Amino acid sequence: MHVSMIELKAALRRCFEATGYFVGNYEDAANMILWLEKHGLNGLAELQRALPFIGEDSAKPLSTVVYEDSTSAIIDSNGRSALNCIAASVDLAHAKALENGIATVTVHNCHNRMFILKALTDCGRRGISVAAYWQNGSQTVTEHTAAIKAGERYPSYSEATTTLSSNEEDKQALTIICSSRVDLTSSLQRSKGNRNASYISAKQVELNKEHSVDNGIDIDEELWARINKIGEGVLVENSDRSRQGAGGR
Amino acid sequence: MTTPAAIKAALRGDNALPLRPINQVMDLERLGAIHQSRLSFMRTLVRRIMRERWQIEPARFELDDQGYGTVIYEIKTPNKLYNFVLFSDYLSPDERNDRVIATKWDLTMALVDGEVDDIYLEKLRQNVPKQEAGRVDARVFVLSRANRSARNFDYVVDQLANGKQPDVAQIAKVGYLYRTTAVYGSGKLGMADWEKVASRHADFARPFAAEMFVCLMLRNFSLLQAEHIAQHKAPETYNPMQPEIKRFFGIGNSTGLGMAPYLINHPLLINQWVEMRELALARVRVLGNINNRIQQQFPELLERCAAHTAQTVTEDEWQTGNNQQVLKDLDAIREHTQNGFDSWEDLLQWSEDNCSLQGQEMLVSVMLELYPELVDDLEDYHSAEEFLDLDPVMPLQQLKQVIEDRYQWALTFDFGAEGAKDTFWYRSEEKMEPRLGDARDEDGKEKEMALGVAYAVRRCYDQLSEYMAEHPEHSTARFMVAQPKLRGIVRRIQSMNRCIYGDIQANLLDREILPMHLLRAKLAFFGVGKFDPRSKLWVRNTMFQGAPLLEDIGKTFNDDWFMPLAPNQTPAQEGEY
Repeated sequence: MHVSMIELKAALRRCFEATGYFVGNYEDAANMILWLEKHGLNGLAELQRALPFIGEDSAKPLSTVVYEDSTSAIIDSNGRSALNCIAASVDLAHAKALENGIATVTVHNCHNRMFILKALTDCGRRGISVAAYWQNGSQTVTEHTAAIKAGERYPSYSEATTTLSSNEEDKQALTIICSSRVDLTSSLQRSKGNRNASYISAKQVELNKEHSVDNGIDIDEELWARINKIGEGVLVENSDRSRQGAGGR
Repeated sequence: MTTPAAIKAALRGDNALPLRPINQVMDLERLGAIHQSRLSFMRTLVRRIMRERWQIEPARFELDDQGYGTVIYEIKTPNKLYNFVLFSDYLSPDERNDRVIATKWDLTMALVDGEVDDIYLEKLRQNVPKQEAGRVDARVFVLSRANRSARNFDYVVDQLANGKQPDVAQIAKVGYLYRTTAVYGSGKLGMADWEKVASRHADFARPFAAEMFVCLMLRNFSLLQAEHIAQHKAPETYNPMQPEIKRFFGIGNSTGLGMAPYLINHPLLINQWVEMRELALARVRVLGNINNRIQQQFPELLERCAAHTAQTVTEDEWQTGNNQQVLKDLDAIREHTQNGFDSWEDLLQWSEDNCSLQGQEMLVSVMLELYPELVDDLEDYHSAEEFLDLDPVMPLQQLKQVIEDRYQWALTFDFGAEGAKDTFWYRSEEKMEPRLGDARDEDGKEKEMALGVAYAVRRCYDQLSEYMAEHPEHSTARFMVAQPKLRGIVRRIQSMNRCIYGDIQANLLDREILPMHLLRAKLAFFGVGKFDPRSKLWVRNTMFQGAPLLEDIGKTFNDDWFMPLAPNQTPAQEGEY
């Protein structure tokens, strides 16, 4: 079915608010999903994969800073979805880059890392260049990278299927490089046995956005119903007393 | 013509104009006391239509004798072609309900980008009358509905059918034929997102311009429809309505709580509106030359404001008291300035010492009205990029200082006091209607909307102070990793600190909170008049009263429909000709 971007965002906000996300986090989560979908990078497909697990994060510990110095940090996200923790990790890299010119933050145990693209784009808009790299998959390992230049509004994104074997160390890890001095770009190397490599330029990402702005978003009806069903958790039961609280007569 | 650089220089820095202080301007009660002005969205829209001479004609007029059927207006602007589509259906009196939860209406309508052919019209017909239960696509960018003011409508039709004019005294009581009960835009129900409207439709690229336009079109249609029915009812005796009486008809509006969360959820946008109004005032205070023209126009406008206020009918005791006080204030201002005056600065100061908030803000609107050359060019600067960005590098010491400087008002509330957290705002399962609850005896507080900004700031401040005892050297980014629950409020604090005016200053959780102030503030920015509160939670008002008619487009235009007055009417005019 067809929905507008703001409808999708509002439904997602309710969905994550009902799931127990904090104020600030549920907006982030909604924005991250919408951003990917709006820019042609399959945010709703990523959400489909994340949805069965989003309720579990409330029982997990918050992200912890395992190591930190002036230009780097290691964060353990304790198995959480990027939807509720990756923005803070990007912010930390952003702060360190502003202070020291360039910084690296490595995040471990973080799911749905594709959602970093929105946080990364926010940095670019605000004059900081960022690149991110991560691998995914147990059987077949895929690798992913995205980058944005300082002052730009759109990042580039690459992904490829590799012949790498799964490495526990790399599983659910993500590396963020952030700089206030150097414009970072990233693309995957063609060698190393990469297959099905794709590169989406910043220009293409922008064109994808223009299409969404003109036409809105198409969403699977079942997924839409599911998001809204979860979102009903924020609604309060109707009653005569409640009706008075709307000021009606 | 102003520029962003000129506006920036006027707001900040060595050459900034003297703006009114933040704590004065952002106080909720004062915001709830402001009135329409020449920067209100209805005024700026009408200026654009009149100056650009938009061509607006009915392209399809299929109403039966009772006024039911379909009408399409074609709108040609200098940039594009749009269509305004109306469906008029029979509604029994017992089905007529102004609440959001209603499911049928007298009129439903849509504003559409481009041509509307028969196939598309059919698609609209299948969905627009259903409103929230229907779906449209991104060609539609406003959807609305309206109910007849049954008594007024029938009365006007009867008068016209009998060759008479409506009694102006009666219209002064209820100045409209229809009340709109919801005007949806910005992506609701599948419509075009604001991002599309702002970037693709230059004619409507100002906040709420498209929504206001639909209300203006509805107003014009309501007059056309009343005349159409009257003419078919008694073709021999029918007389059309006189233009000056037509202009006195506006469109009614019922606004409820739904508007209140908008103001809290769009703080950067609201700040922008306030900044422009205050900048306009500052320009007048400093640059507004008080010459003979002004000495003559000023008392005339005060007189008009007084007459307009006196003609405002409301059963609400609180609003009646406010109106009476405004009349006293206007009298006092008139008396104070009757021998001439030479400084707006002094007069404004005098009003702060001697008038109610509503009276003071009426003076502000009058001051703006007198100086179109200082005010009107700010109408193009009412949009804002709404990014609530975290400043990750800000040291915590600075963050604490920002809270103490910019949110002192929030820190002064005692949230442990009785009643300080009794109100909660929530969405009902009934059409997600926003409602207020009393936490003392109603369920649902755990599902409240995050509108308690003041309380969130207080909690943030306390937790920040605690955290800083251990990590005084940390940045905001590091604090956010440790305290993700505070992410929303911290980035709001930092973002609003970058604005001149910032957040609305009120504890929205207080038992005594008056949501009416929030509704009133937004409606004043829209430009409505004739506030008639029906409870502390919803208000009736009138839009576009006094505005030019469609048939006035292309004729001379003096943009002088501020605080409109009932036209003079002789008994002969009311009677048969």
